[in-house]
Amino acid sequence: MRRSIFLAAIVGAGLLAAWHLGLSPGELVPDRSRWVLLRRFLVAALTPALRSQSELGTSVLPRAWEAAVHTVVFATAAISLSVVAGSVLGVLASERWWRLFPATRALRPVLFGATRVLIGFMRSIHEILWAIVLLAAFGLNTVAAVIAISIPYAGTLAKIFSEILDETEDDAAEALRFAGAGSLATFVFGLVPRALPDMGAYTFYRFECALRSAAILGFFGFPTLGKLIYESFGELYFREAWTYLYALFVLIVAVEWWSGALRQRLTVA
Amino acid sequence: MARFLLRNVSVLFHGIAAVHEASLSIQPGELVGIVGPSGAGKTTLLRLLLGAIRSASGSVAVDGRDLDTLSGRELRRVRAETGFVHQDHRLVPNQRVLTNVLAGRLGRWSFPRALREVYWPRRREVETIHRLLERTGIPEKLFQRVDSLSGGQQQRVAIARALYQRPRSLLADEPVSSVDPARARDTIALLSRIAREEGLTLCVSLHNLELAREYFPRLIGMRHGHITFDMRTDELGDDHFEELYRLTAAEMMQDA
Repeated sequence: MRRSIFLAAIVGAGLLAAWHLGLSPGELVPDRSRWVLLRRFLVAALTPALRSQSELGTSVLPRAWEAAVHTVVFATAAISLSVVAGSVLGVLASERWWRLFPATRALRPVLFGATRVLIGFMRSIHEILWAIVLLAAFGLNTVAAVIAISIPYAGTLAKIFSEILDETEDDAAEALRFAGAGSLATFVFGLVPRALPDMGAYTFYRFECALRSAAILGFFGFPTLGKLIYESFGELYFREAWTYLYALFVLIVAVEWWSGALRQRLTVA
Repeated sequence: MARFLLRNVSVLFHGIAAVHEASLSIQPGELVGIVGPSGAGKTTLLRLLLGAIRSASGSVAVDGRDLDTLSGRELRRVRAETGFVHQDHRLVPNQRVLTNVLAGRLGRWSFPRALREVYWPRRREVETIHRLLERTGIPEKLFQRVDSLSGGQQQRVAIARALYQRPRSLLADEPVSSVDPARARDTIALLSRIAREEGLTLCVSLHNLELAREYFPRLIGMRHGHITFDMRTDELGDDHFEELYRLTAAEMMQDA
């Protein structure tokens, strides 16, 4: 009974939203000129360009390769920064950390709470919004782009890291404490090593996401795959655009495959 | 001075006495077996000796130091001098045996020193640990990950870690229940041999009465948080053991 009410509420909410947005399936039927464009775009998928469709006619693959490398470099820089910031914040946001230090009882609600609020704030704003803000402030600045990705990523890593630290088996840590280890040593030698494989695995997963984010930042003019996609699309060079889309696809799949293998080794071994 | 001195110690868990008015004195170098059925309070008694559990009343003293009055630093000192072998070993499974054993001495190191000693161990310390593993019977496992070892081998790592503490006493909580019966005798023999050689005070809780009588000159019987007997093994009659377990059997009937 309660389940059917719940289900009805979800369906009702969906219908309400559709009505509010004025959605109608008819809008998906393109008019004639758009239909031609859509067909051109889809047909182009079968024949991605190897030479630029602009008058220069230069080879596309070196550009795609260079942009792919830039995408990886951006993502790597962003994830590295995120791991450093996320680790510090993650430790400060874990309950285990604060419980280890009875002396900090007075400070705990303030620092613990403040860290959690900060993490929530960092996460709740998408990297594209951070990029808009930072680009407005610093211009087309590589560091600004990396930081734009890093802010929400560090927040997400911090949240997950703190959860992993709080959920990791702490029997070894307790054994060290009973052997006279101090609080910091207990945390670092008893808990962190056990949490590290999960933290590493999650970081690799976020690296895959960072690649997509780095590609998107190309829309703002950074030399990642997104820039080439955006530009060739704007010029209606669909065949060229498809080459870059395929490059992004191959890149993501390759990294997913690689990081998937690494993740498995981290958690299974 | 007694190594461990308990005076009228009671421990409450949710209002129920896990240990009730226990008094005992254990001298340096004594080998003591603690026997009794599950839930008798054996583990609680051992943990009291570490200051890992606070008593509701009474006092626990280790080498004359009353645990309730110690500062955090002093309590760490007491713990560093007491090796504890947990029933479930409590090792870091995804680290090497060497790293796990090195961590045994964290109670004696400052944090910066601990970082150096554990992650860049000196050759001399590696050799020390290799010798400890030789004594516990698994020297070839020095560089292996703990999670690749059997339960019995992990227990030997845990014993080596406790010994690397350079303890004055060794406490082992049900070391026999987590290894197969064939290895039980080996484990108890190993613990008592090391304790004798090093002059350590040894307290072991166990179910196996036969092993307890064979290896421990003194036995403490526990039931329902009470110490029911505490005497020299050669003075102990069969009736003592029978009482320890007979009443439990009667209670099991009641429960059923």
